Amino acid sequence: MKHGTIAAIEYYLPPDVLSTEHLAREFPEWSVEKIDKKTGIQNRHIAGPEECASDLAVAAARKLFASGACDAQDIDFVLLCTQSPDYFLPTTACLIQDRLGIPTSAGALDFNLGCSGFVYGLGLAEGLIATGQAENVLLLTAETYSKFLHPRDKSVRTIFGDAAAATWVRAIEGPTPSIGPFVYGTNGSGGPNLIVPTGAARKPRSEQSGIAEEDGRGNVRASDNLFMDGAEIFNFTLEAVPQAVDALLVKAGLAMPDIDLFVFHQANQYMLEHLRKRIKLPVEKFVVSMAQCGNTVSSTMPIALKAIIDENRLESGMTVMLVGFGVGYSWGATLVRWMA
Amino acid sequence: MTRQEFLSAMDTLLELPAGTLTGAEPLDDLENWTSLAMVEYIALADTNSVKLSPRQVRDCETVDDLARLAKVQ
Repeated sequence: MKHGTIAAIEYYLPPDVLSTEHLAREFPEWSVEKIDKKTGIQNRHIAGPEECASDLAVAAARKLFASGACDAQDIDFVLLCTQSPDYFLPTTACLIQDRLGIPTSAGALDFNLGCSGFVYGLGLAEGLIATGQAENVLLLTAETYSKFLHPRDKSVRTIFGDAAAATWVRAIEGPTPSIGPFVYGTNGSGGPNLIVPTGAARKPRSEQSGIAEEDGRGNVRASDNLFMDGAEIFNFTLEAVPQAVDALLVKAGLAMPDIDLFVFHQANQYMLEHLRKRIKLPVEKFVVSMAQCGNTVSSTMPIALKAIIDENRLESGMTVMLVGFGVGYSWGATLVRWMA
Repeated sequence: MTRQEFLSAMDTLLELPAGTLTGAEPLDDLENWTSLAMVEYIALADTNSVKLSPRQVRDCETVDDLARLAKVQ
């Protein structure tokens, strides 16, 4: 039987950098030390005015092809996870197929998820491969949240960075999946706590929606801008993430010591450290890799995986737990038995 | 968690010199009672095995209210 395996990962960060020092100059009430301590982020990469999610995704994919891992001609399915598509329509993955020269016999689709997107993407890829619909899936995660942020909203400008990752999930023969099992979760009641309220069908943009107001905590935003209630999101993760970890271990018939590395969605360092302590995960098994790019939404986990590959921390045969959680609310967790 | 441990943790969280808070302080008067501080307070309550909603936290008016909510002894 065929299953999917993660064969290669590359990522792309746009060249413009927003440093913590720059943010501290913009928001003098927050020092560099304070921002660094609270977030663990030193630099965020920001897409240029003409740079869209597809541009970042194409750049990441080209890095993947240039590495020699695979070729555009090998790809028979493109999955793009993004919440900042180039257009409402056509599908951005279709445009990417054309730009990369992927065969027109390939399937391509966008799926709209944030921080849980990489896990869901792996689930979709495994499903496509296991059912014989694809052999070589190009899983792209690409986000330009920076375009949603108000320049005077320090609560989110300190956190989010733009990036894209390209992951090649290829088919292998074998009785046992290399990726899985999967645990998913959804709680749409949390939708209003991380949202861009206007600009789509429910509430189109208007003159009124562009008027910015201060929120009483020194942050300024309009309805057209991204709003995040950090306290609500934190509360959600305290509930959802430990349960997802436990549920995945039960489903896999494993215990915590069987997991070699834990790669969670890199939301912010403070939240990650609290979760690590709460779930009692050893420091040496818990991957934190966000200082130089910030919270890149669905790209945080593939970027962290690539970082530990490059550090030679990830060896063939290791079992890695991936847990994504956030906007929606949506969450997902899976195990990857590393084979690359 | 004892009351003293809680007040000491809140001093740190609010970037105040150790021993500053007595509990009577109105939250609106505390410069560093920000959304980030609220997250850290929720984490502090979580270490005391108390699950809170941000709405409950926003209803608090003083540091003593936060202590009661976090079930501090």
